[in-house]
Amino acid sequence: MKQYITYLLCMLVAASAAAQINVTGTIIDKEAAEPLAGASVIVKGSDGKIKKFATSKADGGFSLSVPSAAGCRLEVTMMSFERRSLPLDSLSFPVTIYMSPGSALLKEVTVKADRIREQGDTITYNVATFAQKQDRSIGDVLRRMPGIDVAQSGKIQYQGTDINKFYIEGSDLLGGKYGIATNGINHDDVGAVEVMENHQPMQVLAGISFSDKAAINLKLKNKAKATWNVHGDAGGGYSWQPEGAVWYGDLFAMAVMPGFQNITTIKTNNTGQDLSANMMDFFSGGHATDLSKYLSVSLPAVPGLNRTRTLFNRSAMISTNSLWKMGRGEIKAQVDYSFNHVTADATSLTTYFLTEGDRVITENRDGTDRSHSLSGRFIYELNQKTAFINNTLKANVDWDDLKLGIVGSLSNDQTATFPDYYISNDFKLIKRFNRAGGRSHLITFTSLNEWESLPQTLNVTMGEHKLSQHVGQHAFVTRENIAYAFSFKGITVSLDGGVKGYFRSMDSSLDGDMSGLPTDVTKTDFVNVVNTNYFTLYVTPKLEYWIKRVNFSLNAPVSYAAYRFDKSLANRSEGYFSPTLSVNWKPNNKCSFTVRGGTGRSPMSLHLIQPSYIMTGYRSFRRGVDDFYTKSSKSLSTTINFKNTRRGIFANSLIIMSWNHTPYTTVQQLFGDYIAYSYTDAAADGNSLMANGNIGKTLDFINGSCNINGSFSRSKSNIIYDNHGVNSVSTAWSAGAKISGSPASWLGIDYKFNFSSSRLAMNQSRASWLSSMQNEFLLNIIPATGWQWHISGEHYRNELTAGSYKNMFMLDTKVIYRLTKRLELSAALSNILNSRSYNYVTYSDISSFESQRRLRGRQLLFTISLRK
Amino acid sequence: MKIFLSVLILLAGCIGTATAGDNVKVIYKAQKPSYTNPGLVNKSDMILIASPDKSLYFNETSLYCDSMTSTPEGKKALREMQMAAWMTVTPTGITFNKNNSNVPDKKIYQYIEKDNGSATIHEYNEWAKEAGYYTEPFDELQWEIEDSTTTILGFECIKAKADYHGRQWTAWFTPEIPVSDGPWKLRGLPGLILRAYSNDLFLFEATEVNSTDSEVPTIYSTDSYAKIDRKKAFANQEHYNNNREAYLKARYGDVKIVSQGKKEHKFEKLKHAIETDY
Repeated sequence: MKQYITYLLCMLVAASAAAQINVTGTIIDKEAAEPLAGASVIVKGSDGKIKKFATSKADGGFSLSVPSAAGCRLEVTMMSFERRSLPLDSLSFPVTIYMSPGSALLKEVTVKADRIREQGDTITYNVATFAQKQDRSIGDVLRRMPGIDVAQSGKIQYQGTDINKFYIEGSDLLGGKYGIATNGINHDDVGAVEVMENHQPMQVLAGISFSDKAAINLKLKNKAKATWNVHGDAGGGYSWQPEGAVWYGDLFAMAVMPGFQNITTIKTNNTGQDLSANMMDFFSGGHATDLSKYLSVSLPAVPGLNRTRTLFNRSAMISTNSLWKMGRGEIKAQVDYSFNHVTADATSLTTYFLTEGDRVITENRDGTDRSHSLSGRFIYELNQKTAFINNTLKANVDWDDLKLGIVGSLSNDQTATFPDYYISNDFKLIKRFNRAGGRSHLITFTSLNEWESLPQTLNVTMGEHKLSQHVGQHAFVTRENIAYAFSFKGITVSLDGGVKGYFRSMDSSLDGDMSGLPTDVTKTDFVNVVNTNYFTLYVTPKLEYWIKRVNFSLNAPVSYAAYRFDKSLANRSEGYFSPTLSVNWKPNNKCSFTVRGGTGRSPMSLHLIQPSYIMTGYRSFRRGVDDFYTKSSKSLSTTINFKNTRRGIFANSLIIMSWNHTPYTTVQQLFGDYIAYSYTDAAADGNSLMANGNIGKTLDFINGSCNINGSFSRSKSNIIYDNHGVNSVSTAWSAGAKISGSPASWLGIDYKFNFSSSRLAMNQSRASWLSSMQNEFLLNIIPATGWQWHISGEHYRNELTAGSYKNMFMLDTKVIYRLTKRLELSAALSNILNSRSYNYVTYSDISSFESQRRLRGRQLLFTISLRK
Repeated sequence: MKIFLSVLILLAGCIGTATAGDNVKVIYKAQKPSYTNPGLVNKSDMILIASPDKSLYFNETSLYCDSMTSTPEGKKALREMQMAAWMTVTPTGITFNKNNSNVPDKKIYQYIEKDNGSATIHEYNEWAKEAGYYTEPFDELQWEIEDSTTTILGFECIKAKADYHGRQWTAWFTPEIPVSDGPWKLRGLPGLILRAYSNDLFLFEATEVNSTDSEVPTIYSTDSYAKIDRKKAFANQEHYNNNREAYLKARYGDVKIVSQGKKEHKFEKLKHAIETDY
C-alpha cells in the first residue's frame, strides 16, 4: 500500500513537472540596443490576475515557470518604457522582447492622501484634490465635490437637502448669510471641508433630538489662521452694449483668530454680476409679520439665459460681520448695505394679417429699478451642553423705487415705491437637566416680537390722466412659547405650547383723475380699511423614539385661533390639527431612508381679505375674498440617500406626493381695457407628484468629478368654474450632467449639460411638449507657468412652439497672467460674437408675434488682482 | 454625451501619457516603534526617487544637511544657523533648546540606494554612532502575490507577502505604476509599493506620488562611511541602545544620562528592530 502511494506521488510530481512551461528570454532596450535590467516580467492568467513574476537581470535575462500557457499573457513593464503585452501561447522560448521608450507612467498631477475620508458622521473632503486652476472661491471647489451642490447664490445642499449650519473653524460667524463666505473665501486658504451629517446645531439637543440635516465646517490652512487674509480685484474696460465704460471691483478680508472672527467684503460692478445674493439669509424662514406686496409692477422679464448675459446693472454692497468669543458665549454683529440699479427693456411686435393689409402693433416697455437695503443684526449666543441662550436683534430698512414706461397702444408711465421697515427681537433659552439613570429634561422658552411696515405707492400717468394708488400696511406679532422635554431610554417626549398675537392693519385708496377708468367704478370701490387680528393658543406634543437604527418622530400640533376682522368680515374662531409622522432608518453608514407623511388644515392668507379693489398695475385691479376660508392638505414623501466615500460615490433621491383642497378660486373679468381679478366660492382640488435623483462620483484619474441628475414633476388641478370643471395637468421632466477635471497639468475642463421639457394639458386637450437644452463649457489651458487661458461659452436651444427652436451661442475668453504670488493680471473678452439681442418670432394662423430683448454685448475687461 | 465622454477620456489618456517627468518621486510616512517611549511610534517623512537604473530612499532634511556639510563653508554656515536658533543667551546663562525651531537638523541617517545594474541594495546609516554601509543582493527578498486588492491614493493595489530578515512583511503594490521599487529596502514587485507593514510595529505609507524631473540624488561624502557587515551593524546598534551611558563615557569621559523622571527602557530586538536575523 505504502509503495503504491509513493508510486502515485511520484507519478503526480512527474506529471506536474512535465506540464510546467519554462518562460525564459531577454529584455532589450530597443533604442539603445542594450539589455534592460530591472524590468518587471509578469505572467497574467486569463482572469487578469498575476500568476508569476520576475525581474530582468543585468544581462536582460529572465526566467520563470508556469503550469500552463492557455489564456495567459506575458507582460513586461518598466518605467519610461511602453508596456508590452503578448499572448503566452504564441511565444516560443527563449524569447527576445524589445522595449521602446517614450511612454510615461504618471500624469504630472500630484496624487495626495485620500480625497474623501469618513469618520463617524463626519465626511472630510480634501480641498486641494478637488480644486482646479480656474477656481477662485471655495464655492467653486465645493461645486466639484460629489454629494455637495452649490447654487449661484452660494447656498449649499448636501445630498439634496439644505445645510442647517455653516461654520468656519467651528464658529458660526455668518449665520444664514454664508453666501459671502462661499463666494468670497479663497479656496487656497481652506485645507479641508467637513460635512457633519445629522447635525444638531444646539448642543443641548444633542442625543435627544434627531436632525436629518448636515452642517459644513471649513478647516482653514494654518497660514490662513490668526492673520488677516485679504484679496481684491479691480477692473475696468469697455462694453459694446450698454455702450460705455464698465468697472468691476471687490475686496474681501477675513480674520480667523481664537477669540475673534471677522469677514468684511465690499463689491461693486456694472458688468452684470448680481450682488443681491450676497445679502441673502439662507436660514431665514421669512418674517413672521407675513406682509407681502399688493402691487404687481415689475421690470420686463428677461429671456432664460445666464443672468450675467441679461442684467444691466450698477451695483454696490458692503458687508461686515464680526464675532467675539466672551468666555463661553459669543457676540456677533453683522451690518450690510447694498445698492442696486437695474434697467430692462422689451419690445414686442404683433402683426395681424388682414385682407386690407397687415396691421402692426408695437409695444415697448422700458424700466428702471433702484433699490437700497440696510440691515443690522446683533446676536448673543451661549451654547453649552446644559444651556443654550440666543438673543437676536434684527433691523432692516429697504427702499425700492421702480419706474416703468410703456409706449404702444396704451402708452403710460408707472412709478412705484415699496419701502420696507422691519425690526425684530428673538430670544431663546434652553436648559437641560441631566438626572441619574440616563434621564434628561429640557425646558425651552422663546419670545419673538416683530414689527413691520410695508407702504406701497403706484403712480400711473396715461396721457393727461393721472392716478395714484396708495396702500398702507403694518403688522406686529408677538409669540411667547414654552416647551418641556425629557428623554428616557431613547424616547423623547416634548410638549410645546404658547400664545401668539397678530395685529395687522391695511388701508388703501386711489386718488387722481378717474375719468379714464370704466364708468361703473367709483372712488369708493377702491377704499379698503382692514384689520386682521388674531389670537392663538397652541400646543404641540411631540414624540421621538429610537430603536436600533430607526428613529420615529410624531408631531401633533393643535391650535385654537380667534379672529377679529373689525367690520370687514364677521369675527370667528377656528381649531386646527396637523399631525406629521416621520421614520428614518439608517441601516449602516452608507444608506439612509426616510418616510414622512402629514395631514392638516391651515387658514388662508389674510392678505386675501380685501373687500374693495386695489389697482395693482396700469391695467389691472384686484379684489379679495368676502369670507374666511381654511385650506386642507396631505403629503407623503420618501428620501433615500447613499454614499460610499471610499469610492467617492454619493447618490440621493426624493419623491413627494401632495394633495390639497382650497374652497375658493380666482376669477378674471374684463372692464374695457382693464382686467379685474377677484375670488369666488368654488372648490379647487389639486395633487402633485415630484421626484428627483442625483448621483455624483469622483474621477480620480483626472482629479475631477462627475454628476448626473434627473427630475420629474406632474401636478393636477381640478377647478370648478362657472359650473364647469376644468382639469389641468402640467408635466415636466429634466435631465442633466456635469463633468469637471484636469486630464493634464496644462488643461482643465468643466462641462455642464441640461435638458428639460414640459407640457400643459387642459380638459384632455394636450399642448405639445416644449423643450429647452443648455450646454455650458469652460476650457482652461495653461500654456506656460503663470499663464492661464480660459475659453468658455454657453449654448441654448429653446423650443418656442412645437418644432421651432431658438439657438443662442455665447463665447467668452480670458487670459490671466500671474506676475507674483500676490499679483495677477487678467484680460477678459466676453460675448465675443457680440450677440446683442434675443429676438424671436412665433406665428399663428392670423398673426405673428415678435419679441425683442436686449443682451449684454461684447465686453472687454482688464483686471488686477491682489492678495495678501 | 457618451461620445463626448469617451473623447474626453481618450484625450485624458493621450495627454496623460504625453507629458511627464522622467523619474518618480514618492513621499512615504514611515513609522516604527519607539523603544524610549513604549507604546508610542516614531514617525518620519521619507522620499523615494526612482529612475530606470537606480533609486534612493532618504530624508529630505538630512540630504540638505549633508549637502551643506559636504563643504567646509557650508558646514560652518549650517552650524551658525543652528546655534543661532537653538541658543538663547539670558542673564543667568546660556540655554540650549533644539526643539523649538525650524532650522535644518539631521536626525535620520538612513539612505537606501538600490542599483538595478548590479542588483544590489546599499544601506548607508549610522550604527552605534559610527557611519557605515553594507551591500546586500536583491534576491534576499522574495514575494508571494495574493488575491486581495485595495485602492491607495486612487491606485488599484495588490497584496503581497514576504519573509525577510526575520520579519513577515505585507506589501500593497500597484501595477499601474511600473516601478519595481518601494520604501526602505522593499522592492521587487511588478509595481510600486504604496503601503507596507510588519505586524503592528512597522509601517510605510505613501502620501504622495509624483513624476519628477529631478535626478536620483547622490549620497554626500560616501568616503566617510566604513564598510560593515549587516548583522554586525544591527547587533552593534542594539548594544549601543542598551549601553548608551558606557558608550558616551568611552567617548567623552564621565557622562551621566539623566532621564527626566523616566527610567531607561531596554531595546528589545523582537519589539524594536526592523531586522531581527542578527
